[in-house]
Amino acid sequence: MSTEVSEKPGEEGGSTGGGTGIVGTRYDLEKETELRFEVESGERVQLELLTGMGEVFGSELNRNKRYTFGPGSKIAVFTWQGCSLSLSGKTEVAYISKDTPMLLYLNTHAALEQMRRQAERDNERGPRVMVVGPTDVGKSTVCRVLLNYAVRLGRRPTLVELDVGQSSVSVPGTMSALCIERPADVEEGFSVQAPLVFHFGSTTPGTNIKLYNKLTSCLAEVFSQRCEVNRRASVGGCIINTCGWVKGSGYQALVHCASAFQVDVVLVLDQERLYNELKRDLPHFVRVVLLPKSGGVVERSKDCRRETRDDKIREYFYGFRGTSFYPHAFDVRFSDVRIYKIGAPSIPDSCLPLGMSQDDTQLKLVPVSPGRDLTHHVLSVSCVEDEVDGGSGQSRGILESPVCGFIVVTAVDTQAQVMTVLSPAPRPLPRHTLLIMDIRFIDLK
Amino acid sequence: MATKQAHAEAARAERSEELLSPSELFHARSRSHKIPVRGQKEFLPTGSEQQKTHLQKSLQEHWTLVAEERVERLGNLVNAEWIPEEKLVKLQSPAGKFWQTMGFSHCGKQCLLPEEALYLMECGNVQVFYQDLPLSIQEGYERFLSPETVTLHQYQVFGHLKRLGYVVNRFDPSTVPSLYERQLNLPLSRDRQNKQLKRKRSHSPGSRSCEKQTSIPQEDTAVGPCEDVLTGEPHQTIQSKKEQDEPMDSGSHVDRAPERNWWTAASSQSRSMTGLPAALPWDFRLISFPDLGSSRAARTCLAAPDPELLPGALQVGECKMASWLTKLNLKEEKLSRRERERQRERDRYKRSVNDDREVRRCTNWAEYLELMKKRRRQRCKERPAHLWEKDVTPLSQPGLCTSHRELLEEVSIIQSSHLLEEASKLPQLDQWRIIFNVYQPDTVADFKKSHPGNPYTRMCVCSFDGPVPDLRVMKQLSFQSADIPVTFAVVDHGDISFYCFKEFKLPSDFY
Repeated sequence: MSTEVSEKPGEEGGSTGGGTGIVGTRYDLEKETELRFEVESGERVQLELLTGMGEVFGSELNRNKRYTFGPGSKIAVFTWQGCSLSLSGKTEVAYISKDTPMLLYLNTHAALEQMRRQAERDNERGPRVMVVGPTDVGKSTVCRVLLNYAVRLGRRPTLVELDVGQSSVSVPGTMSALCIERPADVEEGFSVQAPLVFHFGSTTPGTNIKLYNKLTSCLAEVFSQRCEVNRRASVGGCIINTCGWVKGSGYQALVHCASAFQVDVVLVLDQERLYNELKRDLPHFVRVVLLPKSGGVVERSKDCRRETRDDKIREYFYGFRGTSFYPHAFDVRFSDVRIYKIGAPSIPDSCLPLGMSQDDTQLKLVPVSPGRDLTHHVLSVSCVEDEVDGGSGQSRGILESPVCGFIVVTAVDTQAQVMTVLSPAPRPLPRHTLLIMDIRFIDLK
Repeated sequence: MATKQAHAEAARAERSEELLSPSELFHARSRSHKIPVRGQKEFLPTGSEQQKTHLQKSLQEHWTLVAEERVERLGNLVNAEWIPEEKLVKLQSPAGKFWQTMGFSHCGKQCLLPEEALYLMECGNVQVFYQDLPLSIQEGYERFLSPETVTLHQYQVFGHLKRLGYVVNRFDPSTVPSLYERQLNLPLSRDRQNKQLKRKRSHSPGSRSCEKQTSIPQEDTAVGPCEDVLTGEPHQTIQSKKEQDEPMDSGSHVDRAPERNWWTAASSQSRSMTGLPAALPWDFRLISFPDLGSSRAARTCLAAPDPELLPGALQVGECKMASWLTKLNLKEEKLSRRERERQRERDRYKRSVNDDREVRRCTNWAEYLELMKKRRRQRCKERPAHLWEKDVTPLSQPGLCTSHRELLEEVSIIQSSHLLEEASKLPQLDQWRIIFNVYQPDTVADFKKSHPGNPYTRMCVCSFDGPVPDLRVMKQLSFQSADIPVTFAVVDHGDISFYCFKEFKLPSDFY
């Protein structure tokens, strides 16, 4: 790659504006280039914008403000006009790249913005965009960039997060929608206030594709209803981030999502095969666009993904970098809660009653009897009313109800019939219907 | 030693006169205790000599057995007196071990019910006197068994169960909690249980004044109208509450951030999805996306976008697409061989949805989805004529029911009913009644007559000659018996068979 690495030794604090004695490496970026760096594990890196203007995934940097990035962060600072930066701390890699698709992304944004203008003028709804592509092509980043640009122009787009493995809104294993009102924080990402979260329960859509599609429809319906009552949200449209699973049922789920949300634009990252198939399977009025991935996108290992998931859950309970929130621990009696798992275990087709298909079991609510194996599982607290009684009506209600929060079972006492839970709010639990996730979280650190 | 058999008249004199000599005693003791084997049942008289002698022999054996003198120790016998007016037997000497499971105290005296007395007579535990004369077992059968006490059939069932070790009590319908009490899940009052012993015979039609006093204030505990008020009202309130809450269903982040509700107006619920304005067809000739997939990509040079559209009024130059074409498919796709084959198949045969002229005519999703729905419906209509074009059609439309349960509900012409439904409204029946409570043998050790607990089953006795119980009888009896199963003991000339009806539900769904 033609990267121009211009590592100039930092000229000590004195010459630069805010470098208060800490030795930093200075980087001077030309226009339309970006500085990419990764933070070593166990280290922290501080970034400071010295001159010019720069942005991190669409969020502008303030001059002379120190931004801290924790271990494992992979950051790209892009500049449209050119800038100089100072980095201090141990980085794994740090280089300047000219080769970025940001201009294409910006053009994409410009096109979407045109659509929003037209929608505003004609009193119609704004663009609904689905971002698809295999894993590790920067789908979430593209979403973040586009959302940031839109919100910086005063739009109110909605982020629909369908990536159950690496949710940027809530804990993993959920599908959610978040209304974006201000650009993402450079360090923390989008401020998560009042998201709409549905329980999925697993980190891959493949474990229960039927539920995945159903929840996609639920989200689409809620979003449409919101658009009806909120004009700005309607014009802002939505940007849908999807899973990296683009084969077989995963592909079918993408087509289903497109029709559920009635998307106008599909952004395909990096894969021509997917692009061609979507062009074939989506009606002509849907614009399918093929975009390159950024060269800066790094592949994440399985361990890395697991760690990010863990961090996301920790962030839910303890706040960003584990400092701002103080969760509560208390006992919950088994008799006070109803715990369910969505989806009965699959049975061989020969054992099923005549005329019944396997799919029917995937949306069943299976009551879980509390036991020791519950320990460390993440449970969603469903919003469904406790008083609701009766059979099928209720099960439908629970599936389609959003989640009001999450708890983690830290210990189970089968003798006393109680479990100790970690909860963001003090007792009592707001609702008593709990849904179990496959995901476990061990509360260390 | 006393002996008893058919010739009671001979024993008119003192009992002590019937002492046996040692040789007679030895003879009695060394008697064979074998019960004659009955062998195969003969169903039809064949007229053959062999059958005749066989029957004769068998009969002879039975007569000898029945006529046999019973020898008991005088000290083991409990003396009792038969009171025909009260239809019970009063003990005159202290009761034996049988008192744990049988008998009751009445007006300070230990008493036995006729069937209990008869059973104990047969066992050689009790000697019953009437007008100062000991009763023979035959006389016991004649005097004790009557429609007012227990019938022969009922006694046969009683004896059979007793011999097998069961504890058998008379059933008293007033001891069963009323429907109201069952709904409230009231514990049986102690008071009531204590009464039970004394009122034991109260439902027997021949019961006397002394018992009647205790049996009267019974059914008044169940207050009819009150029941409706109590059970009906909470149900209603729950319902209405549910209705109120329903619109809030999916918007429950209210607690955390009331000012940012996913719902800003409650009325949004009422508006349906179909009411959405048809999405406009974007003119993508004017709105240009940087599409690397299009055929013109190599030649396209993206014009600089209008700075107004960009954040911070950016000024950027134009963008050449060509260089990016080489930077596609960077991420290698890992496909298994099977996946690759399927892929090739799809590429070759699958046609684009847009080849369809009707699809091309759709300008937005609403129209497109409507078209798809219409087609699906059409496909439904192409159903086999021999099934759907006649007067009699299938009960369910294909694809209408999503679950097994729904299908069953759809096709159910005869509503399934529960055995106890409306049973409380049925009038009392005379010829059918529960007669005994039966407790299992293994509970005998801890059995208390004052706190018998729930019986294992309740027994209703009938004969093979009589009618078979119908649904009405079943409902009434099982209602009377509450949670305890009812068993029918069917007597056929001394042979007893037990039957019970089991309620079951057709499987409708599984989890």
